[in-house]
Amino acid sequence: MRAFLDNLRLALGTFLGNPLRSLLTLLGIVIGVATVITMMGLIEGLRTKVNKDLGRLGAHTFQLTKWPSGGFGRFNWAKFAKRPDIDMEDVHAIEMFCPSVGMVAPSDDAGGQKISTASAETRPSVRIIGATTAYPLTSGVSVQSGRFFNDVEALDGRGVVLLGVDVADSLFPGIDPVGFEVRLQNRPFRVIGVLQRRGSFLGMVSMDNQAIIPLRMYQQLYGKEWSLGVDIQAKDPGLFRKAQDEVSTLMRRRHRLDPDQPNDFEIHTNESVTASFNQLSQVITIAGIGVCLLSLVVGGIGILNIMLVSVMERTREIGVRKALGAKRRRILGQFATEAVLLALFGGGLGVGLGFGLVFLGDWMVGFPMSVPPWAVGLALSMSCGVGLLFGIYPAARAAKLDPVEAMRNE
Amino acid sequence: MSDGSGAGNGRLIQVDDITRVFHVGGEEVRALRGVTFGISRGEWVAIIGQSGSGKSTMMNVLGCLDTPTSGRYMLNGKDVSRMSDDELAVIRNVEIGFIFQTFQLLPKETALANVELPLVYRGMAAKERKERAKAALDKVQLTHRMHHRPNELSGGQRQRVAIARALVSEPSMLLADEPTGNLDSATGEEIVRLFEQLHKAGHTLVLVTHEPKLAARCPRAIRLSDGSIVADGSGREVAMAVAGPMVAGV
Repeated sequence: MRAFLDNLRLALGTFLGNPLRSLLTLLGIVIGVATVITMMGLIEGLRTKVNKDLGRLGAHTFQLTKWPSGGFGRFNWAKFAKRPDIDMEDVHAIEMFCPSVGMVAPSDDAGGQKISTASAETRPSVRIIGATTAYPLTSGVSVQSGRFFNDVEALDGRGVVLLGVDVADSLFPGIDPVGFEVRLQNRPFRVIGVLQRRGSFLGMVSMDNQAIIPLRMYQQLYGKEWSLGVDIQAKDPGLFRKAQDEVSTLMRRRHRLDPDQPNDFEIHTNESVTASFNQLSQVITIAGIGVCLLSLVVGGIGILNIMLVSVMERTREIGVRKALGAKRRRILGQFATEAVLLALFGGGLGVGLGFGLVFLGDWMVGFPMSVPPWAVGLALSMSCGVGLLFGIYPAARAAKLDPVEAMRNE
Repeated sequence: MSDGSGAGNGRLIQVDDITRVFHVGGEEVRALRGVTFGISRGEWVAIIGQSGSGKSTMMNVLGCLDTPTSGRYMLNGKDVSRMSDDELAVIRNVEIGFIFQTFQLLPKETALANVELPLVYRGMAAKERKERAKAALDKVQLTHRMHHRPNELSGGQRQRVAIARALVSEPSMLLADEPTGNLDSATGEEIVRLFEQLHKAGHTLVLVTHEPKLAARCPRAIRLSDGSIVADGSGREVAMAVAGPMVAGV
């Protein structure tokens, strides 16, 4: 312990004696650790957010789609494109033949749309959702003022629209737009309601920059040839799995799939969406650690270099220490401690920088990032390991020096 | 001539038929060719010789910084001629106090920290270390400079710090290599007086030098030439034989 404290003191002395050189040498480790901290912060933030945002499906609700969602890896998009579309006939079949299903809410959406009034227009970035009256019950959307459209308006495909808060604010700043008329695709729509604010998806894409119209109207505007996404709610929580089975069986029958063929549609639950994100985040984590390791190796070479220089510069000192009774192990310990401390200091700076970047990111894009404590631990222990790994060779060289030769060194 | 070949019973140092052979570029250099002598506790001995005489090799062997190729070296009752590096490090720490021509102080450390150093490697607690280092600095009258770094001290002061460092571990012997070589004559004289005091206080001193004048001040001198002892007697006699009465300052 005493030897360790002495080594610590010596190492600090060396570091403070040459702060600029030490800092430059540590840059590799600083960058590596900062990278891993920032990436982990990003991923952890995303994970928290995704769990919250992707879990938008209401209680005991799942979603039927043609396309797999999220996912990561090599997707054979052509294979999925060949799948049959999900259309209104499927929706009606589910309503009729799946006894465990309570609510069926088909919808489709188109991004990049523009809504206008006589005096104002939005940027062409509004997402238009075509939906049925079941939509608020399965999607978590609720109405802030006005009302949702009723069955008659839905079935007739009338020109009524509910605006997201962002759309309402840009077209009708300061006034309640209910009752006013807006234009979409050159057709008039009457505003019947404004949606409750939902915030942004993953802190980036606003979920309030949207408008909802009856699905039938939507299909008139944008065509019917697009596959629908269908939110399906089980009659009660106990029937959640059974409802999924019924829908799956029905869809397989409708698509005439043999028992050995895989599904040609997707069923998403909150869990499955989260799982596919977790898969993605794992890949990013591994990539982050890879980047970190690479930087740490670069940093390690820096440490190797500075320690070799340090041993060379202090050859005489090492000789004196050995002459006065320092054993090999003691000299080895002195220089190894120095290398580890140097690396650890770099790691600490990296953690600081990483946290700085995370907070900056948080502040700039409003992205709720948080660094998991294990990432700090991992980054610091990896720095330590690198210091030891790359510091041991110079330290061993110092320990092996012959005191007589070493003291002769100028 | 005193008895150099004695059996060495009760002697602090007994060197028997020591050789040291170096291999330099495929050539064999015999730096010591069968050297035998003994030094008793409390003696003050100069080892004198010209450059190339083997006195530096002798000093390294005596200081346990090097081991002999053959022969036996008993130090304080222990055979140190076949010890490992780490065992020798312990012997150096406990038995020997080094005083070097170029002082060999650590430039970034204060005088006090420099004096403490041998005790650090003995594993002594910091508080006790400091007290003993202060006491050693007091012996060389440098307590008022103990917080100064070597570059803030004069040559004589530096050598006194080095002597304090040699004294602090209370070694069996003080081993000085050309201790006045880097000092002007007045300061050199000051250091020699300090040695005289240490000798009177009962310390065993071994001085390695090429200066007959310095050897002449020692009660005993051993003269090396070509790796062998050519004279072993009183300092005055050996010095006079080397340089004549004028040069030896006798």
